[in-house]
Amino acid sequence: MKTLNNIIFGLIFAIGLFSCQGLDIKPKGFYSDENFFKTVEDADAALLYAYDALTLVSYAPITYYFGELSTDNCTVKPDEGADAQAIVNWDVTSQNELLLQYYRSIYIAVNRANAVIENVEGRGFNKVDENRLLGEAYFLRAWNHFNVVRAFGLAPMQRSLIDKLDETNATLPANMQEVYSFLIEDLTKAIDYLNVNRSVGRADKVAAQALLAKIYLFAATAKESGVPKYAALTESVENLYAKAAEYSGYVLNEQGEYSHDASLQNIYNVEMPNGPEHIFILSMDVSGTQEGDYSKLSKYFIPWIDGAAVYLKNADDTYTITHDGWSVFQTEGTLLQAFESGDKRRTDLLVSEIFDETGASIGTVGNGVIAYEFTRKYVDPNYEGDKTSTRPYFIRYSDVQLMFAEASANADGLAQYNQIRRRAGVSELTSIGGLSTEEFRTLVIEERQRELAFEGDRLWDLRRKNIVQEKVIQAAGLSPEDVSFYPIPQREIDLNPNI
Amino acid sequence: MKRLYERFKVVMLTLTLCSFTLLASAQQAKVQGVVKDPSGLTLPGVNVYEKGTTNGTITDINGIYSLDGLSNESVIIFSLIGMIQQEIVVGEQTIIDVVMQDEMQGLDEVVVVGYGSVQKSDLTGSVASVKMENIPMKPSNSIDGLLQGQSAGVQVISPSDDPGAGSIIRIRGGSSLNAGNDPLVVVDGFPIGYAGDIKQISPQDIASMEILKDASASAIYGSRGANGVIMITTKKGAKNTTEITVSQQNTISEFTSQLNLWRDPALMAELSNEGRSNGGFVPLYIGAEDANGVYYPSVKELSDGSWPYNTRWDDVVFRNPVSNNTNVAVRSQTDKTQFSLSTTYFTDEGVYIEDDYSKLNINLNVIHKLYERLTIGTNVIFSTGDRNNNGGLAYWRNPIFPIYEDNDPTKDYYLIGAQDFSHPLALTKHRSNTNEFLDFLGTGFIEAELLTSLKFKSQLNYKFGRSITDYYNPKKYTLDGTFNNGSGGINNWENSEIVSESFFTYDKTFNELHKLNAMAGFSYQYYKSRTSELKAYDFLNESLGNGNLSAGNPEKQRVSNSLTETVMYSWLGRLNYVFNNKYLATFSMRADGSSKFGSNNQWAYFPSGALGWKMHNEDFIQNLDVFDELKLRGSYGISGNQGIPPYLINSRYGQDQYYVNGGWQTAIGPGYVVGQDSHSGKKIWGGIPNPDLKWESTQQVNIGADFAFFNRRFRVIADYYNKYTTDLLRERWLSPSSSYDRMWVNGGEIKNQGFELTLEGDIVNRNDWRLSASMMFSRNVNEVVSLGDELAFGLSTDSNTGMKYEFYGNTVEAFRAIPSILGVGEAVGVYYGHKVAGIIQTEEEGLAAGLSGAMAQPGEFKYVDINEDGVIDEKDRTVIGDPNPDFMASLNMQLSYRNFDLAMFINSSFGQDIFNTKAFSEPSNQPLRWTQDNRTNDYPSLREGRNVYMSDWYIQEGSFIRLQNLSLGYNIKDLGLSWFKRGRIHMNATNLITWTDFEGYDPELGSDGIYWGGYPKLRKWTLGLELTF
Repeated sequence: MKTLNNIIFGLIFAIGLFSCQGLDIKPKGFYSDENFFKTVEDADAALLYAYDALTLVSYAPITYYFGELSTDNCTVKPDEGADAQAIVNWDVTSQNELLLQYYRSIYIAVNRANAVIENVEGRGFNKVDENRLLGEAYFLRAWNHFNVVRAFGLAPMQRSLIDKLDETNATLPANMQEVYSFLIEDLTKAIDYLNVNRSVGRADKVAAQALLAKIYLFAATAKESGVPKYAALTESVENLYAKAAEYSGYVLNEQGEYSHDASLQNIYNVEMPNGPEHIFILSMDVSGTQEGDYSKLSKYFIPWIDGAAVYLKNADDTYTITHDGWSVFQTEGTLLQAFESGDKRRTDLLVSEIFDETGASIGTVGNGVIAYEFTRKYVDPNYEGDKTSTRPYFIRYSDVQLMFAEASANADGLAQYNQIRRRAGVSELTSIGGLSTEEFRTLVIEERQRELAFEGDRLWDLRRKNIVQEKVIQAAGLSPEDVSFYPIPQREIDLNPNI
Repeated sequence: MKRLYERFKVVMLTLTLCSFTLLASAQQAKVQGVVKDPSGLTLPGVNVYEKGTTNGTITDINGIYSLDGLSNESVIIFSLIGMIQQEIVVGEQTIIDVVMQDEMQGLDEVVVVGYGSVQKSDLTGSVASVKMENIPMKPSNSIDGLLQGQSAGVQVISPSDDPGAGSIIRIRGGSSLNAGNDPLVVVDGFPIGYAGDIKQISPQDIASMEILKDASASAIYGSRGANGVIMITTKKGAKNTTEITVSQQNTISEFTSQLNLWRDPALMAELSNEGRSNGGFVPLYIGAEDANGVYYPSVKELSDGSWPYNTRWDDVVFRNPVSNNTNVAVRSQTDKTQFSLSTTYFTDEGVYIEDDYSKLNINLNVIHKLYERLTIGTNVIFSTGDRNNNGGLAYWRNPIFPIYEDNDPTKDYYLIGAQDFSHPLALTKHRSNTNEFLDFLGTGFIEAELLTSLKFKSQLNYKFGRSITDYYNPKKYTLDGTFNNGSGGINNWENSEIVSESFFTYDKTFNELHKLNAMAGFSYQYYKSRTSELKAYDFLNESLGNGNLSAGNPEKQRVSNSLTETVMYSWLGRLNYVFNNKYLATFSMRADGSSKFGSNNQWAYFPSGALGWKMHNEDFIQNLDVFDELKLRGSYGISGNQGIPPYLINSRYGQDQYYVNGGWQTAIGPGYVVGQDSHSGKKIWGGIPNPDLKWESTQQVNIGADFAFFNRRFRVIADYYNKYTTDLLRERWLSPSSSYDRMWVNGGEIKNQGFELTLEGDIVNRNDWRLSASMMFSRNVNEVVSLGDELAFGLSTDSNTGMKYEFYGNTVEAFRAIPSILGVGEAVGVYYGHKVAGIIQTEEEGLAAGLSGAMAQPGEFKYVDINEDGVIDEKDRTVIGDPNPDFMASLNMQLSYRNFDLAMFINSSFGQDIFNTKAFSEPSNQPLRWTQDNRTNDYPSLREGRNVYMSDWYIQEGSFIRLQNLSLGYNIKDLGLSWFKRGRIHMNATNLITWTDFEGYDPELGSDGIYWGGYPKLRKWTLGLELTF
């Protein structure tokens, strides 16, 4: 008992000696602006965080809701939510949840890029590291800002990192000239800072050149076709086309890393993200542990087939296994009709019959087992459950070829155009002599629909050419503004006194 | 304190006995007298003995005693079980008649309040005191369940029958939306945490519990007091003796009703086909394989008996669980030392096979008087146990499929296609999920009497808790395991807490008129919690489960950990003043400084004040000769709530990984995931700091009165309260272009007001018979007064009423909607949706109702066009129900005859609405569907893929009356054995009968009132034996 007493005594008197922790506790379990961005490794991790934003479930898959569902390429399954139906029906209001998801995800990615820019510039890292980090960060900032501009028109351009409450209410740019100057400025820096340096899931100089070409081309066609607000661009349409041709020309002619892939199957082989075509591809892998790290894109495009695993027949008569999907993005007849007969992009890349492991047919589109003809661009035979490595194809070499063809509209451009058609097994155009520039450009746009189908690009072509209402009946009757831009999400309008 | 109290009692007794003082006489040899009860009946069998000697006797049948051999200084003790012991100094008396007071009356019980204790008669706040000896021993694994029905205004809900599951306790309604509504639990002065899962304390070790309900009582706990405080006093050493108590309880449980499952597969198939056909889908039960190669028999095969299987999965999955509770306690007391050692071993079975729980608690308590004025003590609680989680097995599995291939137990489990992850036996055998926990609570105190009226107490408390969860999901049978080719992990959690408190107490009575008790002190609290998680996937060999995580694919091994610290400093003080034993005043103040809040609002102050008037001590009341007690009480105070995570005042970066060059690389930057949107399931981003964050504060007014009549045999306690909570801790929205979604701020107000009434009566109290009863009634009205800035919090507006609201809770998948809202002017969590006026019988009727397409067809819900615009859309929604009860009532009755006693507890709740998600998806209600031949107005047709709106059709009345507990006991008193003191045998039934109109299994649900189906509640039968040596 005496010992116990002594122990208790000791304990109690220890209170007085107990060194008390103050009320200001430094967090020890996570990083913050106080303990991060000390080294180049920190900056690298922050740059990857900016790339990682592109994989967000609220970003990567949503891109297709706008890029495909709103167009003549795809429609949505009947029991998908009202917000998706509204996109198909061109009835998108500022309350639309998908719109909000897309919008806020873009700015999440922008802020992460800004964190890199703000914490690398002038921090005394060696020049090689600094250039690489800044170049990729500027590229990402432009990539995301361009997404917001294509979808929403005049939307905030975030030029600095936001990390305090009083920085959270951005203002709108004055006009499109301000927007495009900023995008071009960022990409010019990126091209300047970066080298050709392929890494799956990351951007290099070629990606920056391709994106700048894309931005010039968008500006040129939008101004040319009278898209609202684009009249404010000070550069002439011709000059903008010339710039687009110049920068896409750099991609085609001034590097040896990326090239035209003669095999259609290779391009969409999930095991070859480093194929010659992929100038910029998002990196996701089946070994990830949460959606975004791995991808469920396949589930969106493949129809529901009772939850079963099925086999797809390849061009070489072998079979590839895949899981079934959720039937979200359903191919429309208008897209199928756009293919000439024998176009390999339909015969080899669209599926209308499924098989079991022995090669016996399980069902076809004809007998109703498959709800619609679906694309093979997002199929992963190494899937695990719902998890796959299927990746969004952000910038393909073929895309740049067609951009060049469209921008230049000359014999060099025709050669690029023909190379695309040759691979698809359809007739080539011997000369553009009989066509006006406008007619040739229209052909290129049609080719883009077939070549880039299901890759989230169609709406932006329709918008910049101002042909949404011509191609999509649901958009009839809308004002030019409503066709060209989605409304800024209601939450931004409600909360931001500057908008 | 205790000594002081004794002294006070002696003084009081001396005063009362003044009238008996006779002429002085030098020597007394003998004293005699009569002992009576308050009603004037004589009491036989009262022990009468001289203090400190063996000289004693007992009263005879007429209550008469006579005791020899006394002196003037002798003290006579009168004692009888159930009565308050009296000590009387003999002095010059020769005749001492005594009126013994019933212990049940509890007028001068000492009630534990924060940092001290007061006599019950001097209380100014609303404090309920629960003596454990008055509660029939219920089968309960933790203290939470025992509080049910013990105090008005205290709601105890036990929504889960899982082994080891806690209860939900609400004192006077919920005063917070996001910062928690659980009351603080204080064990012997150690604030150990919030109620709900206090598993470290065995019910057998508790002597009493006090519930601090109003601000006058709870504000002394400042920033943690807003939800009320439960003070627990554990048992200390036995009085002047050594006692060994052994108690054993065994409980067996059964479902209170039959399971509502498909017993007729043909009917199930027929209805399924009907629903799919109506929805335009190919019927399933047509005697063909689906794309997975699973053969579904036709209805004919099922009905003509040619299909061989009809599995009763509930028989496979469920059992009648048995629990065991063994307690051995040694308690002893000498002049200087109190000692108590208690050991409890508890095992509990869940209703699912192999869903098990076991726990060992050891509690050691020693208090030692070192010197006359210096006392030290320690209390050590050690608790350890484990849990095998095997809950949630698929008792609802399709009965047409066998357990094994070909129903042959020697073959493999039969799986329904490749994506079947719910085979209950396969999961039980191959999946593992276990949890081990260990808790240690240690307290040491020193109490010094510096002056006669000044005491100092210092207490150091330490708490340590650890939990390890092991799990493995095999490649086959589990979703996680299949997707990841085997998945296993270990989750570690560890926390520790130091609370150091020191305070002075000054207690003195001046001129016998002014009674003063003052307390002032300081408290320091440091909390630390650490977690680590180890995960591995893609296992080479599964035979070790998670025993060797490094056998997982090295590229897919994941670790994560966290460290959280919080600190709180507090200054506190209280003043109790009693004038002339009539007028009472209490003032208290606490200042809390917390590391959770920013430098702008780090300190907060929580004052309270209360006044009381003992009217029964006024002549004009005494002259009425009606009231034995008539006391009015009034209090006002502010208490707080800080139940939010720390570090909200700090910038916080997020972390993820990005796949680069064939491997995962760490990615870090601004933007941190703070949650998941309950509607879209998307991540919610935060991480922006708010240095202005501060506490929620609750102001509470309490007005109460205590009455006692008929020699205190009938007692009434009535209280009215009004709780107003401001600065609710909530998350606001930020402009999405900022890249952040949410940030914690203060905004919004909630009001709770209510009325509590307790009636207690000792109805019969004579000879061998005793009957006492208490009835409690409470009503709480809850209202969301404000939800803060409409835009900042993203509030919606009801287009018909203009009500501002936001959804609250989680999405119900069947409706793709959240049923509950917070609406300004409404109670917390009311249901929001459409109204249904029956079922559409003709298409014209449907179109006329404003519906179109498939929703206008016969057999569909006829939704009401509330805004009368001719279209049914989201603008036709309104408030359609309230999950909060209108009032609650309970009845406790105790009857004893000689050695037998019988106790009954009836609990009831009225007026709450239940959102029954199973109103049209159970075997009991689906056959009642609308068809062309059964044009009912009560149920819609079966149609797969129907877009169902949230509507009042799913809302049902949840009122119930429940015979919650019935127990019968026999007390073994005197077996004539010197080594045997007493014993008790008891039988107990819990959840015996429920009267309700609710269609589901049980109307007692969580506070959101949403009914998810599941399985029936359990009825528990307990047999117990308790022996004291």
